[in-house]
Amino acid sequence: MKKVIGLIAVFQFFFICLLAQTSSLPPIDKSPMDMSYYPANYPVLKINDKITEELAARVVYSRPQKAGRVIFGGLIKYGGVWRMGANEATEIEFFKNVRLGGKKINKGRYTLYAIVNETSWTIIINKDTDVWGSFKYDVKKDVVRKDVVIQKTDTVLESLAMAFEKTTTGFNLTIGWDNVRASVPFTF
Amino acid sequence: MRLPFLIVLICFLSFSCKNNKGESQSTIKDTVKADTSSKIKAEKSISSFSPVDISPMDISYYPADYPKLKMEKTTSLPLARVIYSRPHLQGRQLFHDVLKYGEPWRLGANEATEFELYTDAIIQNKKIKAGRYILYSIPEQDKWTIVLNSNIDSWGLHPDATKDVARFIVTVGQTNNSIEYFTMIFQQTAAGANLLMAWDNVEVKLPISF
Repeated sequence: MKKVIGLIAVFQFFFICLLAQTSSLPPIDKSPMDMSYYPANYPVLKINDKITEELAARVVYSRPQKAGRVIFGGLIKYGGVWRMGANEATEIEFFKNVRLGGKKINKGRYTLYAIVNETSWTIIINKDTDVWGSFKYDVKKDVVRKDVVIQKTDTVLESLAMAFEKTTTGFNLTIGWDNVRASVPFTF
Repeated sequence: MRLPFLIVLICFLSFSCKNNKGESQSTIKDTVKADTSSKIKAEKSISSFSPVDISPMDISYYPADYPKLKMEKTTSLPLARVIYSRPHLQGRQLFHDVLKYGEPWRLGANEATEFELYTDAIIQNKKIKAGRYILYSIPEQDKWTIVLNSNIDSWGLHPDATKDVARFIVTVGQTNNSIEYFTMIFQQTAAGANLLMAWDNVEVKLPISF
């Protein structure tokens, strides 16, 4: 009898030890978040007093991985609205007024989506922010839509990536994943 | 009759404790191993794009999971959010392998940690206006100074103290278990929310009233 009680005590001790190890804190996401600025590397330039051009844009997005899958036309169906990332909808913020396809976009925060097709994407700037994915995407909240022709590359990007690049009239937001690259031309 | 049983019980308990310690050590090792194999790893750059960072970025809202709540029902605006990077221990001890007492720390990695209030708030009797800020800290053994600073869109190193908006002193608490990745989340309180910051075996809470 006492042995049984002893065993129970041991099991209880184990159980308490195990409980103490569980945690309600969020784990690392398998599609980690990242951000890109225009001008590129603005935060580093800022602390080194090397800013030559004022802050214009920032994108905050999550970076899913290819993981051996067919991405465009597979994981992302042609014709559907894609959140251009994972988890929270991709957020793009303009710190000054910009133009896309001739249409003015006031400075402020927006969400960024794309309708992906085989040879072109429709880039969507929408004003419904702080949302999850594209599940409640509302076309009525669109600010601008712009079709861009995509390029196919030989190099395969494992993780979705976004970067801003300077152009003669403003900047491009280039989006790359798998063997596809799309450039969105913003002008001032 | 009782004494031998007691000895057996003590042996059992100490064995189970040792065993448990061994387990938690191997868990940490496994985590590190997983990090370098299948989870987050620093990618080699094969293009002009930035590779995935070894200290991945993350976002926490208050109310917690606000973007998901917004999908379920129409809610008012979020109240606050934080965007921060999540360095991990990888077998190191937080103090003094990673941080040093008395030296400013960016509460993350890479870009300065961004703290945004969607509405005016009160933190330790100071009124803080809605807007974007950066957060950094000065950790000590029993208390941390949490600093709200206006030098937004900056890199986390060398915070510019001339742009400090407010400083708050919070006491250090102990966590039950070691937390591998630096973590920031909002937890609801009666007056608003605590911004919980936890890493390794320490946690601090910044109380915010809305």
